[in-house]
Amino acid sequence: MKKMSRREVLIRGTGLGMGLIGVMLSVPAVGFLLSPLFTKQKLTWITVGPIDEVPVNQPTAMIAEVPVGTGYPTPPVKRIVYVVKKRDGPTLALSNICTHMQCDVHWDPSLGNFLCPCHGGLYDIDGNNTGGPPPQPLAQWVHRTHTDAQGRTILEIQNQLDEHI
Amino acid sequence: MIVSRWLTRPFKARMRGSAAWFEDRTGATELLHKGLYEAVPKKGGWAYALGSATLALILLQLFSGIFLLLDYVPSVTDAFTSLDYLRTSDGFGAWVRGLHLWGSYTLIFVIGLHMVRTFLSASYKRPRELNWVTGALLFFLVLGLAITGAMLPWDQAAYWTTVVVTNIPHYLPFIGDGIRTLWRGGEFVGPITLTRTFAIHIWVLPFLMFSLIGAHLYLLRRHGEFGAWVNYSTDPNEDEEKQIGERIRRAEPPYPTKRIARRYSAPRETVPFFPDQLIKDVVMSAVLIAVIFVMGLISGAPLDEPSNPATLSYVPTPEWFFLPLDQFLVVAPTNPLIAIGVFGVLGIGAALMIFLPFIDRSPERRPLRRPEVIIPALFMAFTVIVFAILGISRLYNL
Amino acid sequence: MNLRILLSSLQPVGGSVLTNGVVVAIVILLHIQIATYITGSSTLAIVSEAISMARKDERHGRLAYMMVKSQVQIFAFGSATAILFVLFLLTGLWAIFWTALQQITFWVMVFEAAFFLVEIVLLYSIYANWERLGNHRRARLGMMVLLNITLWWQMFLIDVVASFMLTPNAGDVSILNQILNPTALPLTIHRTIGNLAWAGAVIAVIGAFNYLRLTRHSRVPTPDAPAGLRPLRSIGAMAVGHLETEAKRAEILHWEWVAQWGVIWAVALSLLQPWVGYSYAKEIQLHAYGAWYTLMFGSLSNVFLIQIFLLGMIFILGSLFFWRRMVRSGAPGAGRQLALMVALILLTLLAIQPAWFAGSYADAVAAGGNHPWWQGGLLNPIGNFIPFKVAALIGMVIFGLWSVTSYATALSRGHIVPGGSSRGAQRTALILGVTVSLMMMVMGVLREHSRQPYTINGEITLHQQITNNAPSSSSVDQGQP
Repeated sequence: MKKMSRREVLIRGTGLGMGLIGVMLSVPAVGFLLSPLFTKQKLTWITVGPIDEVPVNQPTAMIAEVPVGTGYPTPPVKRIVYVVKKRDGPTLALSNICTHMQCDVHWDPSLGNFLCPCHGGLYDIDGNNTGGPPPQPLAQWVHRTHTDAQGRTILEIQNQLDEHI
Repeated sequence: MIVSRWLTRPFKARMRGSAAWFEDRTGATELLHKGLYEAVPKKGGWAYALGSATLALILLQLFSGIFLLLDYVPSVTDAFTSLDYLRTSDGFGAWVRGLHLWGSYTLIFVIGLHMVRTFLSASYKRPRELNWVTGALLFFLVLGLAITGAMLPWDQAAYWTTVVVTNIPHYLPFIGDGIRTLWRGGEFVGPITLTRTFAIHIWVLPFLMFSLIGAHLYLLRRHGEFGAWVNYSTDPNEDEEKQIGERIRRAEPPYPTKRIARRYSAPRETVPFFPDQLIKDVVMSAVLIAVIFVMGLISGAPLDEPSNPATLSYVPTPEWFFLPLDQFLVVAPTNPLIAIGVFGVLGIGAALMIFLPFIDRSPERRPLRRPEVIIPALFMAFTVIVFAILGISRLYNL
Repeated sequence: MNLRILLSSLQPVGGSVLTNGVVVAIVILLHIQIATYITGSSTLAIVSEAISMARKDERHGRLAYMMVKSQVQIFAFGSATAILFVLFLLTGLWAIFWTALQQITFWVMVFEAAFFLVEIVLLYSIYANWERLGNHRRARLGMMVLLNITLWWQMFLIDVVASFMLTPNAGDVSILNQILNPTALPLTIHRTIGNLAWAGAVIAVIGAFNYLRLTRHSRVPTPDAPAGLRPLRSIGAMAVGHLETEAKRAEILHWEWVAQWGVIWAVALSLLQPWVGYSYAKEIQLHAYGAWYTLMFGSLSNVFLIQIFLLGMIFILGSLFFWRRMVRSGAPGAGRQLALMVALILLTLLAIQPAWFAGSYADAVAAGGNHPWWQGGLLNPIGNFIPFKVAALIGMVIFGLWSVTSYATALSRGHIVPGGSSRGAQRTALILGVTVSLMMMVMGVLREHSRQPYTINGEITLHQQITNNAPSSSSVDQGQP
């Protein structure tokens, strides 16, 4: 091995010291920065309400108080669940989050479609994207129903969508 | 002992003595002198004042931003309330917030004009390529500051801006979802989204910005103000080479510029930066800040309803400077095209903008002799204007 | 004022819808061709005159005068067609529809008519005093700008009426909602750009026609052309012994330059049209879905393909013209221009595929084109919105831009030899003019037919019956939780 001069040792040492400082500082910083990638969202079930009154073939918006489930504790936020009842076929609990840029879509009876006000995305009554920029159908909330003591059908959702958008 | 001796000297001599002492220890006067008495091109001083106006407006943003921090709380539950308090109860708070908002609008407008001026006069050509690159990066930083700033009030407008803007990275292949999650602190917009955006707005971007401003100004002083082609014309009746030689011989610092065609190395006529150019800079900045001062008072900054993710009737509208991009999103349909549109087309556009000096390397400076850059630039400019008008029409009719 | 109360008090009159429609269509199409030329060329004349003033350039000054003169020559005829259909054809044949529209857009129409007066005064003052104002060119330019502003305002107002017929804003007839109805601004921008392109195309035709006329019997039509390139086509005609005068050579050079000037404008402005047209169609989709469906998928979708074909032809013919000029002058980049033309032809072929022929999204899915390669598929990079067409249009714009830029660069570097044009290049310019003209006519037919069976969409039918089932604009407060 070639013998290093004093100057060379000093230069290498300076580099090593700086690198060490860098590593010590960046491990916690980067870990902290990236922590949302590894933190699971806290999931809960939320009761939306009875859906017996919802008319057939007419998407109806219901409001649920949905906990965010990330970050420091905050009060739940209001979210829309579009309940779509079909004469045959399952009842849908569509989110009104546009799959394009996640604006709030609403049912427009004159268009017979869900319309997104942001960029003009259109979805049919089943939530399939029918026009404009949206790349995917509307996602549904993860949901389940049960019958309560009065015999009503109660819709419950989880604070996550069953399709990743 | 020393103090009494100093006090007994005549006042003028006392001051001269301490000024000399200070100058000896710091060299401040020399630095100031160097900064003030540089030669700048004589013709077109008002156009060059746009650059210093940009700097003045950035400083205004820093100044008004610091004051806004006296009240603002970056929390999803309190951000809106704190600004509502600032608006209704806190003396001059609403005005300061108005200054910050109108300052940002004016800044975007002026930095755009500054870029157009630099582009038309081809000031970015060698050896000033890096002046342009730092300037273009500063432009994007200003846009980034504007859009992150728009998210902070956490009213309806801010909330939906946050949702849409933080969703855009999602269309990047491979890493898109990760970036969205990092920015939002989860899959949905939540409390962490606001604190992270806040940190970006008040620390990360300004830090980068002031570093780049330092570099930009240093480079400007290193190569001197280019000016425009009008500063380099020669008398066609006389020997061109002789005229240029004479000009270079008589040039004052920082001219003649090195690594440049001889014709463009020294302007025909120059004036000292102080006071000839500085007065124009100050007047321009003063007029702009006066406009901001008045608009900040009479128009102020709006505050919508508190944020509400469960709305069926709210129409999110982008800030005016993002209107063309918003309209672009309308015409770029479905998944692959959104990604191609947003990251391909806009990414290529941004790259072309940043690397312009390395693409357009001909020595020609006159705009009409550079159709290879002027025509595509005009096309892009018209596209942006047309998209803005179409966006207004679309939003009006929603 | 409520449109519906007003409409219910009117009675339809008889008459064949077809003949009535054809009569109006012919007169209107004629009017549009003239009016848009006047509006567009008014702007181009200002540009030309300003360049002439800045550069002391005689050619631009002459071109500006030619445009003003041509406006004077056809202004009366253009207004006469307007008066003919407004006063007689529409009131006679389409009484109910026209009365209703007049009542709704009363103030818009009043200002529309008033602008005619201002324009006549300005245009004739400019023309009659052209020489006298020669020493006050700034004043003359100022008058031209005023004329231009009135012309554009007039166009905007008639666009308000035309767009209101397609998207009547759910029967809301307040002035502001008429003026800012969903398609008013898109149509205005579309026409603003189209007018300039059309004016450029007419200029190109005038230049090319005069060039061809002057070189018709000439052995040496191109005074400065390389010797080997001189055409021999006129041997045996009157050309033998014909002497070129200096004046004639100058004329040939001038018209060659005029044609080139016009072609550049026509092609460069058309580059913006797909952007605007797409947004325009998007507004129609959101506010008049039936009309949009007719255009894109229904009975008019094939006519729309003709439109796309003509758009492609504008870029192709422009590229062909540029290439012929470049190759004759031996300019570097002629090969690239040819390659661009080939690319434009291919893209046009891609864009004009009818729906029954083109690959559909289902085909793409069957070929594994809907998931990316790392999942074992072929990612369809074009999207599932009318497969391939959006990408083809974007490609056409980019290559068209490249083509114009490449020619303009060669021009500014002095690589295009003045007088080096072939007669073929000029014929290309002529065909380009015809293409733009056709495109305007097809567009008119498309727009007016898309909303059938209505004359005012959702309000009055072609048989002039009032229906009152306008599609409401998106009402957003429903779905009570």
